[in-house]
This record gives sequence, structure tokens and C-alpha cells, in this order.
Amino acid sequence: MTKQLHLRRTQITGFVMEYLVFVTILVLVIVTAIVQPNFSTAQNFTNLMRQFGPLSFVALGMTFIIIGGFIDLSVPGIISLVAIITLSLVDTIGEVGAMLVGLALGAVMGCLNGVILVVSGASTQAKALFITFGMSQLYGAAALLYTSGTSMNRTFINHPMPVTSALGQGMVGFLSLSFVVFLCFLFVLYIFQSRTALGRSINYTGGNIVAAELSGIPTKRIMVLIYAICGFMAAVSAIVLFSRVTVTTPTVGANFERDAIMAVVVGGTSLLGGKGSVLRTMMGVSLVVLMSNCMNLLGVQTHLQEVLRGLILVTAIWLDHRRHR
Amino acid sequence: MENADNNLILSVKGVSKSFPGVKALDSVSIDCRRGSVHGVVGENGAGKSTLMKILSGVYTKDSGTVVFDGNVIEQTTPIQSLKRGLSIIYQEFNLVNTLTVGENIFLGRFSEMKGMRNIHKKARELLDSIGSAISTHRVVGELSAAEKQMVEITKALSFNSKLIIMDEPSSSLTADELKRLFAIIGDLRKKGVTIIYISHKLDEIFELCDIVTIIRDGKVIDTKPIGDLTRGEMIAKMVGREIENEFPPRPHCAGDTLMEVKTIRTRKLKDISFELKKGEILGLVGLVGAGRTEIIRAIYGADKAKELRILINGRLADTKKPRKAMVEGIGLVPEDRKLEGLVLPFSVQANIAMASLPRISRFGFINRSKEKDISDRQIKNLAVKTPSPHTKVVNLSGGNQQKCIMGRWFEINPDILILDEPTRGIDVGTKYEIYLLIKEIAERGGSVIMISSELPEVLAMSNRVLTICEGRITGEFNPESDSVYDIMNAAIG
Repeated sequence: MTKQLHLRRTQITGFVMEYLVFVTILVLVIVTAIVQPNFSTAQNFTNLMRQFGPLSFVALGMTFIIIGGFIDLSVPGIISLVAIITLSLVDTIGEVGAMLVGLALGAVMGCLNGVILVVSGASTQAKALFITFGMSQLYGAAALLYTSGTSMNRTFINHPMPVTSALGQGMVGFLSLSFVVFLCFLFVLYIFQSRTALGRSINYTGGNIVAAELSGIPTKRIMVLIYAICGFMAAVSAIVLFSRVTVTTPTVGANFERDAIMAVVVGGTSLLGGKGSVLRTMMGVSLVVLMSNCMNLLGVQTHLQEVLRGLILVTAIWLDHRRHR
Repeated sequence: MENADNNLILSVKGVSKSFPGVKALDSVSIDCRRGSVHGVVGENGAGKSTLMKILSGVYTKDSGTVVFDGNVIEQTTPIQSLKRGLSIIYQEFNLVNTLTVGENIFLGRFSEMKGMRNIHKKARELLDSIGSAISTHRVVGELSAAEKQMVEITKALSFNSKLIIMDEPSSSLTADELKRLFAIIGDLRKKGVTIIYISHKLDEIFELCDIVTIIRDGKVIDTKPIGDLTRGEMIAKMVGREIENEFPPRPHCAGDTLMEVKTIRTRKLKDISFELKKGEILGLVGLVGAGRTEIIRAIYGADKAKELRILINGRLADTKKPRKAMVEGIGLVPEDRKLEGLVLPFSVQANIAMASLPRISRFGFINRSKEKDISDRQIKNLAVKTPSPHTKVVNLSGGNQQKCIMGRWFEINPDILILDEPTRGIDVGTKYEIYLLIKEIAERGGSVIMISSELPEVLAMSNRVLTICEGRITGEFNPESDSVYDIMNAAIG
């Protein structure tokens, strides 16, 4: 009897733990909608989708890094450098050309991270943490050097930028264009992750890198691959980011690594590596975006918002360890 | 009870200890006289370390009594044991490399010692008492292995230890350093300190000990004064167990030469060369740390070698990475299944299919029904006891976990399967099943290289045995006709 009861209780706790993000999102939406009628307007919905923008792409990339058992703090540097360089190239090689260069640059910077990790023999999250932190400084400083520290104003660019404008303002039916692009990426990456041998190899690498190597999985190439994916997705974020604002600074990527890691972990992808999914990350991004939207609408002071954000990140990591112990 | 026997510093009666699936100690009894040097010998895994860890309080015994210095010890912790006067010096030293000698000796007791000056003063006295001139201000990280050992001994003395257990103290010492150590042990004995000396090296046991206890399979086989034993008798007692029907009859399928290892050189290995025949089971015998695992890891490309030349079917093979070794037809079941073999939080199915990813994918996409087929087939083949293929492998018993790794390789069916300690920590029944699987590989024409610290196991399973000692191959034996004594002798070196 008591055993059965105990079983039932662990099942319930397990269920709540598993769908905690859902529950939290639901509670958040309901409470805010009741307290603040402005929340459930079409205007705010569009607003929410736009806020989904830059963070969601880099969080998708970060998912692969974290499933692979690593971490990437170089995201701010990559975003800043890609945004600045892409914008500066529009006048010379055109908008689409500049974007392609920007995306390639992101992937290359990600590759470089991966290669440095492999060459330095880093196989733990801790080492990746320090190395990518250093790389972020490097990329960020390069962005500052490139512009001599000044900002770039989109209105000063002579070449027309229809793609950028569409990405920033365009709508497809009732969905914003950037959100549609996000859904496309989500679909492709989800298939990649769940159906392909490479996607599975990332899970094995994150689950036990030694066992994976001894079973013939090319763990070093996998490391380079996940960092390249994350770099590429950071570049996508950079493009979506400057499409929404007129002025882009060389430090525009600041704090993106924190929010991306938060979205991934809150979504329920384990920091221990091996387990997780881009779908979970989408839930995590939803929570992060909704949270700041709700707090804004409820008039929570900015600094207090930061405190709450930190609290949520710590709680998510704590729950992650409890769940996967 | 016999607490009154004042001549005994330590009296262990009927101590047993089980780990899941293994009885590590089976009613062990040992008496140690005060001021004696008491040798403890036995094969790897015989239970020596388990016993010492129970005495020091790292493990808790399941049953039995321990009387130390006249007091019955029920439960203890390492620090309590130290304070009672029982120290243990492990093979890997327990020192903080960044602190000074003096600080290490009195680590955790700074406030009792009332200041650093006293610590260095007292440490100096203690070091002098064993005739060591190491400065107490030197940082431990800079010391040689022998000097670190002095510091460990001094640390033990600082607790006024009445009994010091030394676990393989000579493994990292040169001949001269060993002499110093023996001299110090002699001095301690005169002062009435008892030493329990654990070693594989029988010469040392004969030179140093007054009395020796032989442990095998978690049981005390014999305790005798050293003068009443010959080296031959001691080895016989260490290894000689009744080989009942513990092992299946060995297959005799050895055919032509399949692999020729021309040379392996690494930091530890010196010019290893041997060959492996088709359908042969080749056993590598040696003490832990002799270089057995290093040899097979180099062959499999898991570690980098300075020089590596291997011919397979007469053709130079590239095995610089595990992936490449797999292409050449080699598979490895690694020594530590939890750290190197399995992805513990993943399902049985994912663990079995792990090495088969290229075989079950087309254009990079995984065929999930093929994945399921593989795991179902191997679960059935190897009789893996699991509630479902989706059960996390961490929830399986050690034996069934091992079967998952074996199944991973059975699916690939490599020409050469290397098994490093395939039955470590596995219960007797499953062990037998694993032996049958190994036999099956050979009967199908596959070759096996097997490492095991359980001598009877390698000897019963192998067609041929190589002994490894200190990074060299020291002998080649036929386990059917050559004596266990000779093999052990070659392995000890």
C-alpha cells in the first residue's frame, strides 16, 4: 500500500519535473493575462514573436553544444563581430552577399573554437568554459578594432536592404517572418538531431566521450561540428538582431550566451550532456521571452528582473542535477 | 572475548564483506603481534585492499569483530582510526602537492599544533627520528616518490601510530630507496610499531616480514612464520585453487597467423612483439600496472604510441585511432565498463547499437527498425536480463552491463576482439556465461586477446599465455602443459 502510494508520488513528481517548463509557462500566461489585459492583445503577440527572434537561433545552436557535453561562451563575440562585418560589407558586395559572408564567418569562428578545444586536448565542460570565454574576448575585441569602437547606423548604408527589412518587419499571415524562419531552422535541426547518425553521435559524445571514442565515433570531428553549428546559428542571430534595430554597436552580442544557456537548461536539456532536444530549447526560449514580456507588462523594475532571471537559471540547473543524478 | 591478549595489537575475527554480486571477504581472521612486520600476500582482487579499507574505516564490515589495541572496534572512520593509532599508506600517496612537508604532516591539525613554527619544529623531530633530512619547508610536489613516502610515514608517526599498513610501498622505489625503507621499517619494529606490509613482490616479503598471511578469493588461506614457508609453497597457496567446473573446456581452433605485432613502443612499453593466430585465445598475464592494458590500448589506437607496427594478414595495418582499428577488424571491451564502455544514462538499445551507427544508417539517416533489430538480437543472443531494451543501462547488474558491451561487438563481429578484465566484479553465474561467449568467438574463427587479473581464469580460457612485467613480455607459455608456478614467476619478474 505505502509502496504503491510512494510510487504514485514519485510518478507525479516525475511528471511535474518533466513538464515543469510547460506548467510554468501556463501559470505565467494565465496570471499575467488576468492581471494585465494588455497581455492578450494582437499587438503584444506580434511583439512576443519579435522578441523570440535573435535569442531563439543561438539557443538552438547552444543546444547541440550542451548535448555534446560542452559549453560555448564565445557567442557574444561571434554575434558582435558578424553583425558589424556583415553591415559594413553591404555597400561593397550587396546585402545577400554580405549576409552569406556573415554566416560563413560565424561557422568559421565556431570551427576555430572547436579546433582549439581539440588541439588543446580539452574534453571537459570546464576547459571549454575558459577557452570559449577567451575566444569571446578575442572576437569581441576584433569587432571593436574593426569599427574603432564606433557604432554602425543602418540608415547610413546606401545599398537597399529589402531582406533585412523583411526579416525585421515582415509578416507571413499572422506570424512574423523571423519566427517563420525560426520554425524552419527548428524543423531541420530537429530532424538532424533525432534521425541522423551524426545527430546521434553528438548524444553519445555528450553521454560519455571516452566510450564514444572507443566505439569508433569520431568525437573530435563531432566537437568541431557542434561548435561550427553554434557559430553559424550565432551568425543567424546577429543578422536577425540588426534587422530589428537601426544602430548596431560592436558589443551588441553581450549577454546572449547567458540567455541562450538559460533557455537550453530551463528547457530541460541536461548540462551533464548526452540528453536534450531542440524542441525543449524552444520551450525554454518561450519561457525566457514570456518572462521578460510579462515582467515588463507587470512593471517589474529592470534590476529586479535581472535578479529573477538569475534565480531561474540557478533553479533550472539545480533541478537538472536532481533529475539526472 | 580474548581482548586480554596483550601481545596482539590487532585481532580480526570472522570479518566478511560483500559488494553487489561479489563476496569480497569471507570470514577473514588475522592476528598481528605487537612489533612484528606482518606480510599480506595474494593475487589482485584477492581481498587485501578490501580488508585494509575495513580496518581503516573506508568500508564498513558486514559481520565479524575487529579488536585493535585491546578495544573492540565496531564502526570507525579513517580519521578515528588515525587517532586510535592505525595508519594506512596507500600506493597513491595522500598528500597535498602544493603544501610544504610540515604542513602535510600536520594537515587538518594546525590549530591543535598552535602555529606554524611548532608544526615545522615537531615535523623536524619526527623526520629526524626516522633519519630523514628532507627540509620541512619544501613543497611536497617537488619531492621524489621515496621522499613522499618518508613524509607519509612521518605523518603516520605524528599520530603515534601503533600499526602502520603499507599497501605496495615499493612499487615506485629504486633499489637503494627500498633499502632505506627497509631500514626504517626495521627501526620502527624495534620501537614496537607493528607494520602490515602488502606486496606482490615475494622477495621483499621474505626479506622483511616475520609472519605472512596469504589471502585468496576473500579467504585467509594460511598464516605462517616466514621461516616455515618456501617461495614455491607461497605461490602455490596464492594461486592454487581447485579448478572445478568453473570454466568451460577451452576451444582448440587456432589456425594460421592473423595479426603480427611487430613492435610497440610507448613511454611504458619496450619493444613489444607477438603474434595472434586465427581462432586463438591469447591471454596476457601480469600484475596490475605491468603494462597489459597499455599494450592493448596501443594496438587499438586508444593511446598514442611512439612506434607502432602491426601486420594483419601480412598487410601493414593502420590502427592509430579506435575508428581505424575497427576498420581493420579489431574490437575492444575496455577495462572499466562504467567509465570507458557504457553511456550509463542511455538505454540498453542505444548502448548496444553504439558502434553500429554506420551500419544502420543510409545517407546519414538512422534506420530505427534496424537499430531495434540489432538490440533485440543481441539481447536474446547474450541473454541480457533487462526489463526492456529501453531500460537505462545504469539499472542493470554488472554482468548484464558487460553483456551489453559484448553484444555491441558481437553485432560487428570483428576478427579480433580484445577483452580487458571481462569478468571484473561479475557474479559467478554470469562469469560462466561470459566464458561461453568468449569460447563462441573462437569457435566461429575469431581471435581473442584476453587480459585478466584472475590467473585461473586466463589460464583456463587461453590457448597461449604471454607474461608481462614492467613493460616487457617476459615469457610465453602453454597453460595446458606449463606449470602455474613458472607462469607466476615470469609475471612477477
